[in-house]
Amino acid sequence: MTETRTPSRRTSSGGRINRETSLNFTFNGKRYQGLAGDTLASALMANGVDVLNASFKYARPRGLVAAGAEEPNAILQLGSTESGQVPNVRATQQALYDGLEAHAVSGWVKSQKDLMSRFLPQVGKLGGKFMPPGFYYKTFMAPASLWMTYEKYIRKAAGLGRSPLENDPDIYDHLHQHTDVLVIGSGPAGLLAALVAARSGARVILCDEQEELGGSLLSMSGDCLDQTLDGQPASEWRDAVLAELAACDDVLLLPRTTANGYHDHNFVTLHERRTEHQADIAPVNSRGARQARSRLHRVRAHRVIMATGAHERPLVYSHNDVPGNMIAGAVTTYLTRFGVAAGDKLVLSVNNDHAYRAALAWKAAGRDVVAIADARSAPSGALVEAARAAGIRIITGAAVIEARGDRRVTGARVAAIDIDGFKVTGEVEELVCDTIASSGGYSPVVHLAAHTGARPVWSDEVHGFLPALGAPMLKGFDACGAANGSFSLEDVLVAAYASGVAAVEACEYPVADTIVPAVSALVEAPMLPLYQVPHDKPTARAPKQFVDLQNDVTAAGIELATREGFESIEHVKRYTAMGFGTDQGKLGNVNGMAVAARCLGQTIPDTGTTVFRPNYTPVTFGAIVGRHCGALFDPMRYTAMQEWHVAQGAKFEDVGQWKRPWYYPQGSEDMHAAVERECLAVREKVGVLDASTLGKIDITGRDAREFLNRIYTNAWAKLAVGKARYGLMCHDDGMVMDDGVTTCLAEDHFLMTTTTGGAAAILEWMELWHQTEWPELDVQMTSVTDHWATLTVTGPEARALVGELTDIDLDRDNFKFMEVREGMIADIPGRIFRISFTGELSYELNVPANYGQYVWETLFAKGEKYGLTPYGTETMHVLRAEKGFIIVGQDTDGSMTPEDLGMQWCVGYNKPYSWIGKRALTRPDTRRDDRKQMIGLIPRRKKAGDERIVLQEGAQIVFDPDHAIPMPMVGHVTSSYYSPTLGHGFALAVVKGGSARIGETVFLPQADGSTLEAEITAPVFYDKKGARQNV
Amino acid sequence: MSDATTLDPQAVTDADAATRSQTSVIDQRPALDVHLQTARSPLAHLFTARADANAGVVLEEKAFLGHLMLRGDPAQSGFAEAVEVALGLALPLTSSTLNLNDAGVSIQWLAPDEWLIIVPGEEAFAFEQALHEQLSGRYQVVNVSGGQTVVSLSGAQARQVLMKSTPTDVHPRAFPVGRGVPAVFAKATLILRHVSAKEGESEFELVIRRSFADYLGRWLLDASEEFGVCIKA
Repeated sequence: MTETRTPSRRTSSGGRINRETSLNFTFNGKRYQGLAGDTLASALMANGVDVLNASFKYARPRGLVAAGAEEPNAILQLGSTESGQVPNVRATQQALYDGLEAHAVSGWVKSQKDLMSRFLPQVGKLGGKFMPPGFYYKTFMAPASLWMTYEKYIRKAAGLGRSPLENDPDIYDHLHQHTDVLVIGSGPAGLLAALVAARSGARVILCDEQEELGGSLLSMSGDCLDQTLDGQPASEWRDAVLAELAACDDVLLLPRTTANGYHDHNFVTLHERRTEHQADIAPVNSRGARQARSRLHRVRAHRVIMATGAHERPLVYSHNDVPGNMIAGAVTTYLTRFGVAAGDKLVLSVNNDHAYRAALAWKAAGRDVVAIADARSAPSGALVEAARAAGIRIITGAAVIEARGDRRVTGARVAAIDIDGFKVTGEVEELVCDTIASSGGYSPVVHLAAHTGARPVWSDEVHGFLPALGAPMLKGFDACGAANGSFSLEDVLVAAYASGVAAVEACEYPVADTIVPAVSALVEAPMLPLYQVPHDKPTARAPKQFVDLQNDVTAAGIELATREGFESIEHVKRYTAMGFGTDQGKLGNVNGMAVAARCLGQTIPDTGTTVFRPNYTPVTFGAIVGRHCGALFDPMRYTAMQEWHVAQGAKFEDVGQWKRPWYYPQGSEDMHAAVERECLAVREKVGVLDASTLGKIDITGRDAREFLNRIYTNAWAKLAVGKARYGLMCHDDGMVMDDGVTTCLAEDHFLMTTTTGGAAAILEWMELWHQTEWPELDVQMTSVTDHWATLTVTGPEARALVGELTDIDLDRDNFKFMEVREGMIADIPGRIFRISFTGELSYELNVPANYGQYVWETLFAKGEKYGLTPYGTETMHVLRAEKGFIIVGQDTDGSMTPEDLGMQWCVGYNKPYSWIGKRALTRPDTRRDDRKQMIGLIPRRKKAGDERIVLQEGAQIVFDPDHAIPMPMVGHVTSSYYSPTLGHGFALAVVKGGSARIGETVFLPQADGSTLEAEITAPVFYDKKGARQNV
Repeated sequence: MSDATTLDPQAVTDADAATRSQTSVIDQRPALDVHLQTARSPLAHLFTARADANAGVVLEEKAFLGHLMLRGDPAQSGFAEAVEVALGLALPLTSSTLNLNDAGVSIQWLAPDEWLIIVPGEEAFAFEQALHEQLSGRYQVVNVSGGQTVVSLSGAQARQVLMKSTPTDVHPRAFPVGRGVPAVFAKATLILRHVSAKEGESEFELVIRRSFADYLGRWLLDASEEFGVCIKA
């Protein structure tokens, strides 16, 4: 049943709501109605819903306290479907939409009870005296072995809401922004600063976390106490400024956008909620297309102006957490902006003039103001006089010391107090009321200014922390308005104008004429500092006086922390959890420091400063991830033949960002079956591999040859034009870094190949050496990896097959092993390299990649009669390992020299000029003969079926399997496969001094306790003389 | 030497050897009919024609252009002049700028010793030869036409698409016509250039490496979706 009664808390007129448009929503399954323009909070309040949550630690009922980002209690779970669940939503920041479903986060209490009954059955019930600050540290400290168990339950109990169990159907994205001036906050300060910058021609972004731009101007009621700007009501001035800004090409206005993080170099992350005010799952846009639910703007600003205003501080008095206790400004905002009164009978407890607006607005709405308790002995400002004139009772020198009530305020205990003596000095008066609003002053919202490490500075004038403007971490950063401690509208506008002008000048634009609006006068008397209100009992025995409502931190708890020796506010915070979590101390930090300072008999600045970290309010992971998820998570690089591979059902392997065909299963083949078939096809007929991913670098210049001499370990002086050579590269520590074949295309022209994974790094490596060490060499290099498609045709039938495609003479005597030819391949110009990584007769066809798929398909059109078989990287690995060809990065790990790999034939110690790695290779350590050296391993076969034994890659090798554990490990397996050609398993491995141990047996202890045996062999298993590639 | 015979060392004359380094230059473009029947561009599988008169984003793959990488020292005597003679365009010496003409020829500064030259595909070899004819000393010209493609990005929301993708500032004040930079784009890189602004509507070119084309193409389509996409084929 939809509730149809007119909500009694709604005022009869006023506010920025649309009274004609009602919206349905539910809270905890019960249906309610609100109005367009409501927040979820104002709609709940209008419906008289007082209790929104149970508190974190004590499970006390909690209701609305604030109207904005500082709200500590009304943190709800949103979502009408499982996939649309959103935790951590502040009701005060959530616009109401039709169909909204919200729930209290009831998990806390249940989990707490669960935790207690499991581990502390003797506690029996939840109660404050059993859970002092530091409770978790003390209680769950011992036994240490149980901590892991405790932690699981404690974490569960500490959650705020829950994550959805289904995938989020929404999308989120990022927008990179650059601007001259970023203005954060759109109250009077932000609007004027933005206007000055915009009129001067600067690029401007103005953002505000609220649904509408205007900040505090939106809460002005329009009555005679409101100040005018240039004679206009505040709302008209706001509308005019916004209209002018909106008409500027280079001004971006972002409502519903929270500046959540201020980072180095004026990099600011803004979180724009784009459809959260419309539905819990983003509707399609006007084009019918998906749109991002929220967007992370990554802003780089030349100047940042923080105009984030101030948060009102509540006073700390007993039972100040009972629903119906609010901050005064929130009471005003709900009345003037949303047309909702928090209750019927108000008691206001203040230490300043500004908060009187709550009582005046309350009275204007036809509600009863029971009394204003003002801590000052002789309050006098214009608003005070207005209250007196309205007949409101003002009790001076007094404060609310305790709220009455359980699930809703029923009364207030008011007494005269002595602030300096911290005591109640007069009789306590009991006032009947349902709402207590308090104001202890205003804390500038300095969070962003502290994110880069600039600690805010206490101001005795403002009685709050101010941003540390001028600190090195705040270069190009300014603040104005209440965020910088200016509270009167006149001061705010003067400061905002100055900030705007300074920003424009810093961006080197001529400052356009703008006049600071004239403001009608309003005299406000100074505030009187008051944080914790004394009670007629000592703090430790008085009913709870909450400092941090979200984390259930009380004044007594802070007092206990100081008694236990925690004197730094940072320690107090950690001990009590004050300012933790999503709250980040917005309401409580200053009050907590004041309590600690009082207990320690020192000032607030002596007690420490306050630090805030990003994010200002929680940011959904979706917005952080943006579109970098799912199919767009990471680049996948494809060769020109990718479509063919996919059509053939290839399985793919990741090699760096490349997707390479791994194997091509036929029918129901598994990988082993497919690889065996592919291996045999290459050894017996002909196969083709897509080798396009190999790095290819075009190197030219008179000194190209000399450059190769210095980059590679081996010699290049005598490589003739048209010839290719295998090359090995070492890092300057003498360890093998990369390898590949380099071909001399002309006297001053070489084509280098690198490993697939090493391509980019090797080009950078060579550029580094050329640019910094050998700039005198005439050599230039450019990557051509993507330009050439490479098809490796290999096997006994390779010559016959390739011969059908090309005009190049493939005769064995005219086109020898390790040579290159240019010509037409399937009518496409290209090059053929006669090099082999399989040990078979091989031709590597290079054609420009735009024709790669065509040549590949032509090869298959001609290849059927030769039994042409595509093979993938797994078969390539087996075939090359049978020949003992290493793969850098698989058989090497950055600790192997060419000699360790048995490749001393590839090192030119006698080259005339030194080369990279030479010096390191002459160190005694690299010349030791007991280094781990590459050898082959063949598993010992003791029974039928053992030929299928394949040693595990990475398996450790020992000489003595009977040695006590820990056994000395003497090496490990680097590559291991079953060879269908050999009919048994085989491996490449490194073993200490292995090259002198050929024929010996080594042992490989297995995880299951068994031990495998293998014989050390030379690392070439097939066609040891290399006859097959030379046919 | 600007011919395909340099694999034969005997073809190099002494006079040639004295004046220029010896490189192998081959015409990598097949006969026109073969090209038309066989070439497959990096984005052919993704950028299938899509009409949308109200599209905020217009994408077009400018496939099969000639891409030449030029390296050299602009301080070397005669280098800039030689490039200008060969291309009919001045060598851009200011960082991150490009010069282009109506004949479809452009040259873009990429680094103090590196430029990207883009020419009509069928003219790549002629331009490559012309550069070799004109240049001497330390330089390099490499045909990378198969390794790159160009995506034209225009439409009222083109700049929004770029802003979703790259941290480079693409505001006309920071990125006017004639500016081009290698840019981080999503999680890859590409070369971004502002080639024209007719009636206030900008055309950008994205020079994309072939192997990243699928990823970047899908990224572009995704980023454009909310604005409506027209794909010219």
